[in-house]
Amino acid sequence: MAIKTKKILVPLDGSKNSLRGLDMAIHLARQSQGIVTALSVKTVPGIYAIHPLGFLDFNSMTEVKKLLADAKLRAAKKGIQLIGKAIAGDPGYDIARFANNSKNEIDLVVIGARGMGSAKEIFLGSVSNYVLHKSKKPVLVVK
Amino acid sequence: MTVNSFKKILVPLDGSTYSEKALKRACEFVDAFNSEIILIYVIEKSIPINLLDRKEYLGILRKFGTKILDKSKLTLSKKGISAKIFLKEGNIVNEIEKLAKKEKCDLVVVGNKGLGSVARFLLGSVSNKISQSSSCSVLIVK
Repeated sequence: MAIKTKKILVPLDGSKNSLRGLDMAIHLARQSQGIVTALSVKTVPGIYAIHPLGFLDFNSMTEVKKLLADAKLRAAKKGIQLIGKAIAGDPGYDIARFANNSKNEIDLVVIGARGMGSAKEIFLGSVSNYVLHKSKKPVLVVK
Repeated sequence: MTVNSFKKILVPLDGSTYSEKALKRACEFVDAFNSEIILIYVIEKSIPINLLDRKEYLGILRKFGTKILDKSKLTLSKKGISAKIFLKEGNIVNEIEKLAKKEKCDLVVVGNKGLGSVARFLLGSVSNKISQSSSCSVLIVK
């Protein structure tokens, strides 16, 4: 197979669109025998991000973990290895930073067109838009 | 797997290195999914520059467009891929979307910027608009 996308990053937020993105990433990973990295960012309002007690919010972190476990199961059913990562912070910024980090060696970012943000817009979600602009890696927007 | 495999891929070209990159990336998809490729070059008609020699200007663009399309088709056929080519006139984004709808494309592959006059270091205007408003999936090649 000619697809060179070995490591695919999928940001997850539990919405239907992000699951579609995950399906697509799994599909692509099957073609290239790659690895899917799922990144789930828990939104932390600005001030808590630097507040030491901000990370003590275990309750919602378990929610994120559950999301990643579900994703892992979904990928395992298709025979794809999935690495889950949970971060607390600002979704757009952290996803872009994760993708650009050369240590992670991400080849492709697969993102749903919109996620949990506000009303059902016709247009791109804010996080998707941010990642699209800031990521230095190819981005696939799944609609 | 579910229905979401890319059967038809639309690649808008503008002659820049970024669009060539996008084309290369699209070829990879063809290998993996056995999909069709559709190439499009849009002659921008919306700018009211050169009102006097408009005809000449458009003629040059038309020539340039066909040249690029033929060249790309040649590179594709070397890889054993056949492609449909389209030459359209009008607003770039509108025409691309119209064609994507008409041909029922599943994926649009664009470079992150093109021949826009200002050297932007972020997303180009056309790529941005396509990603905002197209109804099918978009791959931004960087």
